[in-house]
Amino acid sequence: MFEKVGRDLVWRFRIGPITVALNPATLGTALGVSLVLVFLALWLRRALPKDPEAPPPRRLVPLIFLVDFVENQVLSGTNEKLRRSLLPIIATLFLFVLGCNLSSILPIPGMVAPTQDLNVTLGLALLVYLLTHVYGMRTKGISRHLRGYLEPIPVMLPMNLIGDIGRTLSHGFRLFGNILGGAIMTTVASPVMVEVLLRLLGPILAVPAIPIIGIGVTFFLNGFFGIFYGVIQALVFTLLAAVYIQAAAE
Amino acid sequence: MGPELVQAFKYLAAGLCMGIGALGPGFGEGRIGAQAIESMARQPEMANTILRTMIIADAIDETVGIYSLIVAIMILFVA
Repeated sequence: MFEKVGRDLVWRFRIGPITVALNPATLGTALGVSLVLVFLALWLRRALPKDPEAPPPRRLVPLIFLVDFVENQVLSGTNEKLRRSLLPIIATLFLFVLGCNLSSILPIPGMVAPTQDLNVTLGLALLVYLLTHVYGMRTKGISRHLRGYLEPIPVMLPMNLIGDIGRTLSHGFRLFGNILGGAIMTTVASPVMVEVLLRLLGPILAVPAIPIIGIGVTFFLNGFFGIFYGVIQALVFTLLAAVYIQAAAE
Repeated sequence: MGPELVQAFKYLAAGLCMGIGALGPGFGEGRIGAQAIESMARQPEMANTILRTMIIADAIDETVGIYSLIVAIMILFVA
């Protein structure tokens, strides 16, 4: 059952002295999610009315809901200027992580959620860490931003640096652990649940019981660990990214 | 020690790691949720702010559980 976990198909290249490892399943799924998002964006952009006062067409309603949600929920508490400049990157991050998480429920063999790969989540966490510095330097200036590491007293410098490292690592590990844990739970729990339910309900259901119970268990596990946890974790990841950037920029 | 015994202790260690490591975050998240619901019932107009703070606190609390999950995975599959 566990042979596949953590030991996926990996391509290795040697570029000079270093070895580069690529996981084609992760890479392909992440690129697929990005392509879907790009085409969705292009298709939705065509629906934008020329006149900004005109009522929006029906297919833009989910997009308006999303932008409104990110602006008022995720970015609440930031000032107006920062919110305007953070909205695109935070919404993109949310859509990408959400798409990656939800891709785990697609019944395509060999396809795994890219967020099950530590490289993807740590890469996104490092991107957010870089953005905290960019926004901190842009709003406060380089010297004031770097002086923030000496607060409240200069002796705290190592603590602040360790805090940065721990925050970024836990930001990446949280998404990775949640999605991988959900995937392992789905793999482990589905045979057990099917067997238990078959023993309980098998004599009652006169019709062939295995397909009904199998479909039900699959729906429940993928709905709970795939959709529910996927949406919650994507929200948590973007919320924390917004909080980190906001804390550095204000 | 034979390899079977090592394997058996690995399973035991992974189960104990995850089981004990889930106690703290479970208790903490329960308290966070309870307090957040109490505050929302007292001040419904603050519900959005409280929800946002609750999710952040839950996520930070959950990190400990995630660490024990990762240690359990490493004991089982990596080490």
